[in-house]
Amino acid sequence: MKVVWSWLLELVDLDRQPTVEEGARALTAAGLEIEALTDLGAGFTGVVVAEVVAKRPHPEAAKLTLVDVITARGGAATQVVCGAPNVPEPGRKVLWAPPGATLPGGITLATKPVKGVPSPGMLCSETELAIGDDDDGIIVLAADDATPLGAPAQQALGVDDWLLEVNAPANRADLLGHLGVARELAALIGGRLVPPSIALDELTGDLDAAALAAIAIADPAGCPRYIARVIDGVTVGKSPRKFAQRLRAVGVRPLSNIVDVTNYVMFELGQPLHGFDWAHVAGARIEVRRATAGERMTTLDDQERALVPEDLLICDGARPVAIAGVMGGKDSEVSAATTRVLLEAASFDARSVRRTARRLGLHSEASHRFERQVDPALAELASARAASLIARLGGGRIARGSVDVYPRPTTVAPIAVRWERLRALSGTGMIDAIAIGACERLGFAVESTGPHTAQVTPPSARADILREVDVIEDVLRIVGYDQVPSTLPRLASAPRHTVDDRGDRARRALAGAGLAEAITFGFQAPTRAAALQLPADDRRARPIPLRNPMSLDQAVMRTALLPNLIAAIARNRSFGRADGALFEVGSVFLRKDAGTGEITELADEPIHATAVLTGLRPAWLGPARAWDFFDAKGLLETLVAALVGNAPLAFERATDIPYLHPGAAARLVGPDGAVWGEVGEVHPATREALGVDGPVFAFTLELARLPAAAIAQMRAIPKFPSASRDLSLLVGVDVPAGEVERVLRSAADALVEAIALREDYRDAKLPAGTKSMLFSITYRAGDRTLTDAEVAAAHEAIVARATADLGATRR
Amino acid sequence: MTTTLALVAELEQLGSEFDGVIAPLVDEQAIRAAQAQFLGKKGRVSEAMKALGKLPPADRPTVGAAANRVKDAITAAVDRKLGELVAAARAADLARTIDVTLPGRPHHSGHLHLLTQVRLEAQAIFAELGFAVAEGPQIETDWHTFEALAIPKDHPARDMQDTFYLSDEIVLRTHTSPVQIRTMQAQRPPIRIIAPGQVYRRDDDPTHSPMFTQIEGLCVDENISFADLKGTLVHFVSRFFGKSLAIRFRPSYFPFVEPGAEVDMACSFCEGRGCRVCKQTGWVEIGGSGMVDPDVFAHVDIDSERYTGFAFGMGLERMAMLRHGVNDIKYYYEGDLRFLGQF
Repeated sequence: MKVVWSWLLELVDLDRQPTVEEGARALTAAGLEIEALTDLGAGFTGVVVAEVVAKRPHPEAAKLTLVDVITARGGAATQVVCGAPNVPEPGRKVLWAPPGATLPGGITLATKPVKGVPSPGMLCSETELAIGDDDDGIIVLAADDATPLGAPAQQALGVDDWLLEVNAPANRADLLGHLGVARELAALIGGRLVPPSIALDELTGDLDAAALAAIAIADPAGCPRYIARVIDGVTVGKSPRKFAQRLRAVGVRPLSNIVDVTNYVMFELGQPLHGFDWAHVAGARIEVRRATAGERMTTLDDQERALVPEDLLICDGARPVAIAGVMGGKDSEVSAATTRVLLEAASFDARSVRRTARRLGLHSEASHRFERQVDPALAELASARAASLIARLGGGRIARGSVDVYPRPTTVAPIAVRWERLRALSGTGMIDAIAIGACERLGFAVESTGPHTAQVTPPSARADILREVDVIEDVLRIVGYDQVPSTLPRLASAPRHTVDDRGDRARRALAGAGLAEAITFGFQAPTRAAALQLPADDRRARPIPLRNPMSLDQAVMRTALLPNLIAAIARNRSFGRADGALFEVGSVFLRKDAGTGEITELADEPIHATAVLTGLRPAWLGPARAWDFFDAKGLLETLVAALVGNAPLAFERATDIPYLHPGAAARLVGPDGAVWGEVGEVHPATREALGVDGPVFAFTLELARLPAAAIAQMRAIPKFPSASRDLSLLVGVDVPAGEVERVLRSAADALVEAIALREDYRDAKLPAGTKSMLFSITYRAGDRTLTDAEVAAAHEAIVARATADLGATRR
Repeated sequence: MTTTLALVAELEQLGSEFDGVIAPLVDEQAIRAAQAQFLGKKGRVSEAMKALGKLPPADRPTVGAAANRVKDAITAAVDRKLGELVAAARAADLARTIDVTLPGRPHHSGHLHLLTQVRLEAQAIFAELGFAVAEGPQIETDWHTFEALAIPKDHPARDMQDTFYLSDEIVLRTHTSPVQIRTMQAQRPPIRIIAPGQVYRRDDDPTHSPMFTQIEGLCVDENISFADLKGTLVHFVSRFFGKSLAIRFRPSYFPFVEPGAEVDMACSFCEGRGCRVCKQTGWVEIGGSGMVDPDVFAHVDIDSERYTGFAFGMGLERMAMLRHGVNDIKYYYEGDLRFLGQF
C-alpha cells in the first residue's frame, strides 16, 4: 500500500507534528513495515513558479514565442524562448527551469541561443518534469493557483511530498487506505482521526436516489451491503492537477474526474467503489447475483470473460454490468458522454472475490482489498465522500439520499479481556492503565468489568480483532515489543524424543572417511530419474510430479540420490575438478501407488546415504591411484560399521541393477538377509546421460533397513598369546574370494580367531585356470597358550576342507 | 716351572692383549666373542689360571687378585667399547636430515556441508535448553501445512508462501511448522522441540532458493510467555555467533501465532553500527516467531487456557550467510567442491 504523507496528515490531528522519518519509524516498529520512503519531488531541482508578464512572436521562427516571466512581484522580467503552442496570456503562472536547474534524466539547464535569441533555461511540460504524460504544451497553473511566485515547482505540482510504501500484514484490510494508516499513526504518536470533509447537503439537488435506482441482493452472503447513489449533471473531464498527482503517486493513472474520484476514495478510505454510466444501466436497476452457467461479459479491459456459477455479478435489468469486487463491465463504463453516474459502494464476501479473481487471473486494486474483507460500515462513508467529490469535480448535483441495502448489519461484539492474561502471556508487568490507554489510542472502547478485566470493543474497521489474544497483541504492538523483557522458560523435563540420528551418524562417518557432503534439491529434471534406466514398473521410474514447478529442471521429486550426485560430478569436471568424492544423506520420495500422475496419499520418504567416487584418489608425492570398486566397497563397509558395529556383511554379485555396471556391482546383504544397499561402478550409459565421461564408483545405503545400533559391550582383552599360520592355496580362477573365505570359515573351530586374505595372485606361471590365494589365519584360546600341535591340527582341518570343497591345492 | 711372578705377568699381558684385540672391532657380536675368548670358561684367562694349582698356597691370593684385576679390566674395556659404539650409532642417527619443507602427507578428512554443521550446532545449542529434535515429511498434507496452522484455503496469507502443489491436498511443505502439528498431535505438554528440515517455496533469486532449510522451535507448557521466546532467541543468537547480540521483535502477522513478531538481531558484521550487510540499519532479519495461536491449539486439542507456547522459525542458509559470509544462496546446493571443501 502506497501512502502519500500529506494525504495521511490530512486525516489526523496529531498531538505533535512528526517528521516523515519519525512517522516511518513509528509505523515500522508497530508492524507496518515501511519498505521504501521516496521524495516525490526528487526528479528535478531549481524549477520555480513564474508569472507570464508579456509574450510576443520570435522574429525568426513562427512556432516559437518569446515570453517574459517574473519570479517576484515587481521584480525584473526575464525573456525565455518557448516552443509550446499554449503559452498563456499575461497573468497566468508557468514553471520555469532557469539556468542551473536540473531535470529528470540528468539535464542541467544553461542559457542557449534558440534561432538567434538567447534563452535562459526553458518553460516546462509535464513530460519534461516526468510528473505526467501531457506533452501537448507547457504546464499552465490554474487561474486560481495560490502558489507564491518563485516557489519551488514541487509545491505547485503537489510533489513536495513523500511516498511511503507500507507492507501491510495480510489480515489488515483496514491498512489498504490512508484512513487506516492514519488510525495507526494517531495511536502511535497520539492524536485523533479527522474524517475527510463531506458537504452533501450543499451539493444535493432535487432528484431522489430511490426513484433513480432500485437495488436487489439475491445473495446476501456474497454481498452483505450495497449502497447506490446517483450524481446528476456531471461533466466528465480531467481532474485537478494536485488531485491527479496523488493518484499518480500511489500508482494509478488518472483517467477522468469521475473514475479518478472512485480510485481516490478507495486509496483514501480503503473502500473500492465503482461508477456506472446510469444511462447504460438497463431499467435503472441493480441486482447482485451469482452467474448462471455459460454466462459471459466483457470487462473494462476489453476481455471477454467466461463466468461460472460461483462468480458474483452486478447486473442491471438485462445483463451483467460488473464482476462483483473484481472489475466493471465495458458496456456501462463512465465515458466522456456520461452525465448521470450511478455510484456503487458495496461489501463483498472475501472468499468469493478471491476465488473469482484467481480463476480469472484478474488481480485489481479492488479485488486486493475485498479479498481481505472490507468493513461493511465503511461503504456509507465512502459513498458520501465519493459522491461529494464527484459533484465538486464534475460539477453535478447529488440525488437526495441513497439506496442502502444492508439486510443483516454486522455488529462488533465486545471482547472480554483479562489484563492478568496479558501480563502472563507477554511476560511483562504492564499495569492495567497502560493497557487500557493503548486500547483507547487505537480507538477501542474499553469498559472495565471488574478487577483487571474489561470488555473491549474495537472499531468495525478492525475485523482482525476478534479474541482476547488479538487485543493483547495490539496492546503490546502499540506499547512496543521492546517493552518485553528476555527470560528463559522454566526448564521442565519434556519427554525426550527418540530421534533417529542414523542420518547424522552416516554424515559424520563419511566426512570422517574423507568425502565431502553435498546437499541437492529434492526435485529434479525428469531426465535425471530416467538416467537410472529403470523398468517402468519400478516406482523409482515413476517420480512424483509437481503440479506447478518453476522449471522443467525441478519438475519431479527425486527417487534416488545418485543422479544429482553424478550431475554434481559433471559440474565439477566442467570447471576442471576431475577428481572427487561426494556424498549426500537425504530423503528420496517414492510414491505408494502404481500410477504416474498426481499422488493421492503421502509418499514414502526413506533416507538414503549415497556416495560417488571419480577420478584419482587424493595422493601425496608421486602418482595417485584412481578410485575403484574396492574403495567404494571399503567405504560402504566403514559406513555400516559406524552405524551398526562390525556386523557380518555379505556382498552378492549383482548383474541386474540397471544403473550399475553388470560386471562390477554387488548388493550388500545384512545379517538379517535383507538388502541394505548396493555398490558398484556406475553404468556407462547412466553416467553419460548425466554428463560424465569417465568411470564413477558409487554406493548407496538405505538407512532405514539397518537395525538400531546395539549398545557396544566390552569383550575381554586376551590374556594368552595368539599363533598365526599362513595358508597358500591354488584355487580355480572362477571361485570367488568370498566363497573361498566362506569355506575356510566353515571348517574353522573355536580356536580360529581371524582369517584374513593377504594376496589374490594371478600369473601365467601358475597352473592353467588357477589363482593363488594367501590367507593368514590367527589361532587363539581364551584359557591357555596353544601348543604347536593344537594349532597344526586346527590348521590341517581347514586345509582339508579347502581341498575337499574347493578342489584347492596347497602351495 | 711356572712361577708366581710369571703367572701374574702372563695375566697382565692378557689384559693388555685384550685391549689390542677389541680396539678395531665395530660390532657388539665380535666384541662379545673376544670377551668370551678371554673370560669364558675355556677362555685364555681360565687357561692361564689352570697353573694356579701348582703354585704355593701362600702365593695364590696374590695371583687371584691379579686375575680379578684383569677380569675387571677386560669387562670394563668391553663396557667402554660398547658404550662408544652406541654413542657412535646415536651420533650417526642424529646426523640424518630430511627436507622438512616438503609438503605434509595429508590426512584427507572430508567435509560436512556447511548447512549440516550449522544445523548440528543449532541443535546442540537448543539441546542445552532442553529442546529435542523432531522431524516430519517434506511431502505434506495441505491440512498439516496450512489448515491446522490457521491458514484455510482462500486465506490471503497463502500468498505469502508461494506453494508447490503435488495435488489439491498434498504440497511440498513451505515451512517446518507442520512438524509442530504432528508433534502436538502425538504428545501432550510439556513440549520442547526443534524441527530442522528442508522446505520449498516458489522463489528463486540470490537470497531465495526454491528449496531451503528451516529450523523451527516449539515450546508449550504452563506459563510460557512472549518474554521466554525473546530470552530463548537471545540465548541462541549469543551462543551461535559467539558474542552478545541484541534481539529486536517487530510486530508481524503469521496466522499461526498471536502475538507474532519478526525477529531481527543486531548485525553480526558491524554489531549494529550499520554496514552493507544490514543495509545501514544495524539490524538483520533472522526469522518469524510468536505465541502459538489458540486456534492452532484447538486443532490439536490442547487447552489454550491452561497451556501457552511459543514457536519460531529461522532459515539456516541465512544464519550461515551471516556467520560465514556466504554471498549467494545457490552455492549451498550445487555440489561444488570448491565451495564444499572450504568448510
